[in-house]
Amino acid sequence: MEFLSLLSPELFLFVVAGVIVGIVFGAIPGMTATMAVAVCLPLTYSLDMVNGLGLLLGLYVGGISGGLVPAILLNIPGTPSSITTTFDGYPMTQNGEGEKALKTGITSSLFGGLLSVFILFFFAPVLADFAIKFSYIEKFLIILFALSVIASLSKKSMLVGIFSGVLGIWFSLIGTYDISVGGNGETRLMFDFMEYHLESGFALLPVLIGLFGLGTILEEAEKGVKDEVQSVNGAALSAATAKAGKFSFSVFKGQYVNLFRSGMIGTFVGMLPGVGGSAASVLSYTQQKNFSKDPSKLGTGAPEGVIASESANNGLTGGALVPLLSLGIPGDSTTAVLIGAFTLQGLQVGPLFIGEHLDIWHSMVVALLSANIAMFLIMFFAIKYIARVITVPKYLLYPIIIMMCVVGAYAINYGIMFDVWTLLLFGVLGFVGSKLGIEIAPFIIGFILGKSAEVYFVKSLESFGSFTIFFTKSPIAVFLWVLILVSIWFSIYSSKKGSQA
Amino acid sequence: MKQAWKVLGVFLAVTALVWANNASAADKSPIKGNIRIVIGSKSTGGDTYQNSSIVAQALAEKLGTNVKVDAVGASAAFKALEKVSSGNTLMIFHDQSYLGYLYGRKGYEDIFTEYTVGPTVAINPGNAYLAPKSSPYNSIADVIAGCGKGEKVRVAIQPGGVSEIGFSALKNAIKLTHPGKEGNLVAVNTGSQADKNQLLFDGQADVINGSVQANEQYSRLPAEDQKAMKFLWLTARQETITQANEQGMGETTRAMLLEFVSPNQSVTQDGKKDFTFDKEFFFLYNKDMSQEAVDYLDKALTEIFAEGKIQETQKKSFFIPNFKPSTEAQAYLMSKKDQYRVIIDAIK
Amino acid sequence: MGDSFSKLLSVNIDFEQSHMFFPKIIMWLLFLLFLLIVVLYGRKFLEDLKAGRRSIRFFEENFDKIRLFGTIGVVILYFVLMDYVGVLFPNTGLGFLLVSIPFMMSLSFLYVHDLNKKKTIIIFLNSIIAPTAAWYILGNLFNITLP
Repeated sequence: MEFLSLLSPELFLFVVAGVIVGIVFGAIPGMTATMAVAVCLPLTYSLDMVNGLGLLLGLYVGGISGGLVPAILLNIPGTPSSITTTFDGYPMTQNGEGEKALKTGITSSLFGGLLSVFILFFFAPVLADFAIKFSYIEKFLIILFALSVIASLSKKSMLVGIFSGVLGIWFSLIGTYDISVGGNGETRLMFDFMEYHLESGFALLPVLIGLFGLGTILEEAEKGVKDEVQSVNGAALSAATAKAGKFSFSVFKGQYVNLFRSGMIGTFVGMLPGVGGSAASVLSYTQQKNFSKDPSKLGTGAPEGVIASESANNGLTGGALVPLLSLGIPGDSTTAVLIGAFTLQGLQVGPLFIGEHLDIWHSMVVALLSANIAMFLIMFFAIKYIARVITVPKYLLYPIIIMMCVVGAYAINYGIMFDVWTLLLFGVLGFVGSKLGIEIAPFIIGFILGKSAEVYFVKSLESFGSFTIFFTKSPIAVFLWVLILVSIWFSIYSSKKGSQA
Repeated sequence: MKQAWKVLGVFLAVTALVWANNASAADKSPIKGNIRIVIGSKSTGGDTYQNSSIVAQALAEKLGTNVKVDAVGASAAFKALEKVSSGNTLMIFHDQSYLGYLYGRKGYEDIFTEYTVGPTVAINPGNAYLAPKSSPYNSIADVIAGCGKGEKVRVAIQPGGVSEIGFSALKNAIKLTHPGKEGNLVAVNTGSQADKNQLLFDGQADVINGSVQANEQYSRLPAEDQKAMKFLWLTARQETITQANEQGMGETTRAMLLEFVSPNQSVTQDGKKDFTFDKEFFFLYNKDMSQEAVDYLDKALTEIFAEGKIQETQKKSFFIPNFKPSTEAQAYLMSKKDQYRVIIDAIK
Repeated sequence: MGDSFSKLLSVNIDFEQSHMFFPKIIMWLLFLLFLLIVVLYGRKFLEDLKAGRRSIRFFEENFDKIRLFGTIGVVILYFVLMDYVGVLFPNTGLGFLLVSIPFMMSLSFLYVHDLNKKKTIIIFLNSIIAPTAAWYILGNLFNITLP
């Protein structure tokens, strides 16, 4: 218990400070957890290792959790991994259950977070050995599995939904086949004159906040921004939140399996380097939809959707630290920044890190645990005030949202003006596209997963030279195919059931 | 309504004043205002960012201005540099900047004609080639001999730059020692270090490009572990490693590291001399940046390195201090580039 | 038979051309899906259109032209000016600050209904305080790069 001497009250102060700043970053549309960690990284030069890590881990947990606030209240995902939270969270707000949705989300986040810390602490090295069994092929199948959600997400027609998803993939491929992922550095899907600007393609964050943020504002503008505050079934929302939709923990009745499964999915997907954090909540949301007693309710404001999404994206935090601490490889974009905190202190993470730095390892686990608890306490009691955001008149709120989206878009790649233009482009595309019947949710999921799907697909074929390898590589691959087929069968089945009803 | 306009007017005036005030304070220097250093890497966890922030911190103290590092990535960094000639935007990158051009990759142009090459600041001596611990190849000579005997050796690299140059040199050496057999050395093109390691674990590569920093712990795993690796070759010059701290990296001491560099591990460049490659970090300036600004930065960096504090910080993070003022750096990097051009052309 | 089958499934990807391998598959998929949509839904769509059950009106009825196109115009102006002014004050984020204030003001005035004195004052305050706070906290305290 030598590490106890490292646990000063200071550490907890740093963790709490990190959580608060993280929540604020996560809650502002356009700012992400990764950004929060990145901007605070230089602050840790002057701190010692343990306190610095405490701060950064607090930021990480706070940032991921804060993302649910705008997702639920404004239909704008605060971070990419809270996309699926909007599917049911925002409809709940429209039904006057905003506060209930927020509290459900926070409680699920806490559960997912704690579960993943537990798994990290007890199983990290074992899991790392399991994770390296996932080669290009298995990773491609995981992504294919996540993509299979597109079919069941479509609101109107499954075919149009799939079309929208594939269109999303197409958009994600525009730009360079990046050398840093093993590509050949050639540009594609554009004319020569566009090369100067489109070389790096469209960045995820501006696309996301363009579609959800600016796109929504344009739709409102078309209608004339008539209601000054959001209304719920005619009544002003401030009144509605006060009475309707009180939160109680009974929301979770019958949802324990969902909570646990989603947290596990989040942790596991977080563990696989390169698959990407957003895939976690997408996957667990689909699974909930497949296993739900009443799948047609999902997407219309069902708490179980919020539970699945939020439990998974906080499960991600512990999961993404597994490969970082036991292989020296970051599991997602935020932990990729976190690795800098170690190297700047002259510490290398790798397969021997945990064994050689037990003290740091233990204090990290303590920091993560306390960050999750602090996040829960802070958010749970601040929710009443946070929920008032929607009572701000739209003529004041919308300009602020656009301004913050601009900051986020410009800052995500450390100062690139084209990303700001991407915001506008996709705002307009989202507005026009939804008029033409394109579905935004499948589109964005295709966009998020498209690039990794390409790399793993092409690299698998480059290595093995045959399509058969996807079926014969390993038992894991076969198992994943079973999951994919079940998922597709479920979505066809439930869409048939839906159309009969 | 009128009052509101007044408030706005006063506010804008105050902001402008504050700014003007700040600007005039740093009046004498050829670079006015805050400095932004863009780097050729998108990662804030990588060596380019780490090295650049060490330099940026020292520069900020020396020049008394705000210096910020932005990890925008190579092509965006070049674009940002092209736009600003005042010296407010600078770039730090490494040998990738001209190797990308030599390998004909998109987004790279000849840095010696398109930009002004500035001072070098540090070396990352860690560029390495590794094999699984169970591999029959125990040295880079074994790999060369193996290819000569007709064995196919697959090497995982990231194509088009720093990660490929060692591979190219190896191929060139095989061509020189075993003519016609160089085709036995096959590149497996991939991306990040994680991907390269994964290919080794999967048995899809026999040798990978890696680094002392990222792979040192893997080299200390017990042989029965699937993840265990061994170093075959460090591309750094012997004199570079000699300057590292004695304790080396992790549990691998400087003496142990010296086993893996030339002349102990020999990859010939032209039949006489061994090939070596040090990953060096240097400044790049806008072509039109004034000579005064170039001199100004040269002078500041000369002073910083004369004080000797930055060297300790660099060494602590396993960088080898390597300051050369602009003109010296230009000539040095130019000749370095010409040597590598010969190798790349020879195996085309 | 087994042999030719495995041949059918084998591929050889040329690295120098590999950037088009996956995009081509996706484009074919898009094309096929589009055809399928036209075949399956096209006829019904046309029938609906003839019968007047569906219209091809793009915008909503009586849509707010001023607010919609005004928003797009103001946003374009905002982005252009931000970049332009930002170059005048390098690496200070002032381009963002100085352009955001008038931008927020114009958008607020564009959206507001039943303007009165109280609303005007609130709009002015909001347009000044919000960008300044963002600029100071994010740009200066957290050192985030702003235009």
